[in-house]
Amino acid sequence: MSLRPQRIVFDDVWGCLRQTVEKVLKLNSVRRDDWNSSFTDVYSICVAFPDPLADRLYSETKLFLENHVKSQLDEFNCYMNDMNDSESGENQLLHKYYSAWKNYSQGLEYLNYLYLYLNQQHIKKQKVSEAEILYGNGTTPLTISQEQMEIGELGLDIWRLLMIQNLGDILVKQILQGIERDRVDNCLTSKDIATIHGVIHSFVMVQDYKKKGNLQLYESLFEGKMLEASGNYFTSQASKLLQNCSVSQYMQEVIRILEEENVRAHKFFHISSIQKLKKECEDRMITDHKNFLYSECKEMVSNDKRDDLRNLYVLLKPIVDGLKELIQILLEQIKNEGAESIMNLKGENIHIQFVENMLQVHQKYENLIVETFKNDPLFLSALDKACASVINSKLSDGKTTCRSAELVAKYCDNLLKKSKSTECEIETKLSKSITIFKYIEDKDVYQKFYSRMLAKRLIHDQSVNMELEEVMINKLKQACGYEFTNKLHRMYTDIGISMDLNNKFNQHLKNVNDELSINLAIKVLQAGAWPLGPQTNITFAVPQEFEQPIRKFEAFYNTSFSGRKLSWLHHLCAGELKVSLAKKSYLITMQTYQMAMLLLFENCDTMICKEVREVLQLNNDNFQKHLQSLVDQKLLLIDTEKIEDSSVLSLNLEFTNKRTKFKITASMQKESPQQEIEQTITQVDEDRKLYLQAAIVRIMKARKVLKHNALIQEILSQSKVCFAPSIPMIKKCIESLIDKQYIERTANSSDEYSYVA
Amino acid sequence: MKVTVKSWTGVALWKWIANDDNCGICRMAFEACCPDCSFAGDDCPLVWGHCSHVFHMHCICKWLNSQLNQQLCPMCRQTWRFNDR
Repeated sequence: MSLRPQRIVFDDVWGCLRQTVEKVLKLNSVRRDDWNSSFTDVYSICVAFPDPLADRLYSETKLFLENHVKSQLDEFNCYMNDMNDSESGENQLLHKYYSAWKNYSQGLEYLNYLYLYLNQQHIKKQKVSEAEILYGNGTTPLTISQEQMEIGELGLDIWRLLMIQNLGDILVKQILQGIERDRVDNCLTSKDIATIHGVIHSFVMVQDYKKKGNLQLYESLFEGKMLEASGNYFTSQASKLLQNCSVSQYMQEVIRILEEENVRAHKFFHISSIQKLKKECEDRMITDHKNFLYSECKEMVSNDKRDDLRNLYVLLKPIVDGLKELIQILLEQIKNEGAESIMNLKGENIHIQFVENMLQVHQKYENLIVETFKNDPLFLSALDKACASVINSKLSDGKTTCRSAELVAKYCDNLLKKSKSTECEIETKLSKSITIFKYIEDKDVYQKFYSRMLAKRLIHDQSVNMELEEVMINKLKQACGYEFTNKLHRMYTDIGISMDLNNKFNQHLKNVNDELSINLAIKVLQAGAWPLGPQTNITFAVPQEFEQPIRKFEAFYNTSFSGRKLSWLHHLCAGELKVSLAKKSYLITMQTYQMAMLLLFENCDTMICKEVREVLQLNNDNFQKHLQSLVDQKLLLIDTEKIEDSSVLSLNLEFTNKRTKFKITASMQKESPQQEIEQTITQVDEDRKLYLQAAIVRIMKARKVLKHNALIQEILSQSKVCFAPSIPMIKKCIESLIDKQYIERTANSSDEYSYVA
Repeated sequence: MKVTVKSWTGVALWKWIANDDNCGICRMAFEACCPDCSFAGDDCPLVWGHCSHVFHMHCICKWLNSQLNQQLCPMCRQTWRFNDR
């Protein structure tokens, strides 16, 4: 054969070709030779001389296909007329259609190969390119359909127009009946299932070649009706269940149905329908009966019915706003339980009860959320909200401010001071206290209390373990940033540096062959880092026993560091005295002033108060306070009720104590705790004002001009880490900055400020 | 009665010896650190000039490095010389 265009008689060639085409379509066997020659026939028609006859071939083929499909349709119509009323035939139509479709689509595929040349050379040329369709500047779909299609596509289109347009409705009806049967008694055979699946997918496949809207037929012919039928089924199912089920049973049933429907959707439908069917099911069975589901919500939460809650979560999760109500109920519950757990705390250990009760509540609900609500962030944020509101709520009497910050700080102090627990236990407890700490709004209050307590622990050597102190500071740093723990950290390092310094000092003494009369340990603190309150210079004549060691240390310090001045905080110093009385000797730990007082009695047994005070050069307050504690201990005897200048003090030579080693503490704690708390609060207030003013200046410097409300918002967001400032306080700070001429009101607007450079 | 001091723990506060509270360059308190540091004290020390002016070491070094010709004290315009005491 030659590939050159030849003059041909169309009818002859087509006559031959047509036989092969028919065999292919009916899936009869075709001899290799016939196939090959038919292939050549297609070619020769397409390149025929003088005029290519491709168009004619196309229309003849189309006609042939149409007749073929029509004849099959007639068969169906006959069949249906026969079976008109009989029940048994129902499914048969589906089977028949399915096998006809299977054959036809298979045959068509082969035919498409046969017409390869026509498809590729003749028809491709006319086709609009893919890009043009995708980007929409090509011709409209309408004109495409009028153009010639590839033979495979043409065949599918003919099937759609002739077969499905006519049979579609009845097919769909039968499919839906089949599905209904599957739902109700689950009795479909695997053949039935394959058929239904095949028929449904034939609706998709006849348009599968289209780039756009390939599901159009499937959706309009089948999907809509299927969803409607399913919806009706779900509705009736739901109302049936509602009549004789509790909420808990209903939820279980619905979950089961949802699962089944999911399996069913995968079994029959095109994937695009799976979500739609699920949505339909949810709408009919959950959304429509939302209030029914909510009706027992409260009870489930308060009775901790985890299985029910888990089901409820699963059901409500996909519904728009479905969880809102559940979350609200949970939030209220946590709030109530939290508030209850920290209400009416009494006794010495309020701080421990507060933290541990609150932790218990937190733990319980965190656990619930992890286990039943899949750690849903919405629920976690509700937990946070509830805890924050409980922890920051003012106590019921309304007068006292919220004590949470103080209590948590005290809890930590307690752990770090004298717990009998192991290091490991303390650390876990500290970590847990951070959980509560994070909810506190007034973090600066906590910081004030914590730093005071830390200072006391460090100065008086009360920490169980220095490593733990550092661990805790780092935990706080993690939670709030280094700014927050800067001072705490500096305090901590001061103690480390002091230890080094003491060692070096002792080494130095050894080197110069010197020795001190007393065992000396010095703590050198840097000014500014320690919360020591205003430095009232208490005059005090240092007893000569201390004078020399102190001077030596100062000399050593000045050679080590230049440009620094040491000032001694005698009210924080303490020491151990060995007091030898007639019968026994005692080792007594006490405060420096008290030591000084006792040292005066080394050589005489009685003294007059005024004398003592003048020698020590103490002011009256301190003198009374410390002397009183010695009198209370009965180390000194006094001849009057109160300490007066003329009172005579005498050494109690008969003094006895069961222990030979003890501590006189009273004077340190003389400052009443309430007073201390108030002091702390006022300090915090001062700091807040400074903080706010600095924030305002910073913001205004950056923005130059800003509206009042915008400024307030900025301030609130900046100060969030530390505390929640009140609006009046912010306003006061703005006023004072206007007075100080950092900012001013702009001329044309009353609620706008501008920065004064 | 015989009384002997066995041991004594002294607590002292140290401050820079300076003629001012704030650094003349960064205007931060001497007790605090310069704006580039996070920890005051040993990490951000002070230095003294022969002219008696005191600055954060970091601040005066930055200033001196920025001066091309003469090294002057920013407060009194005298030639800057470190006073090592």
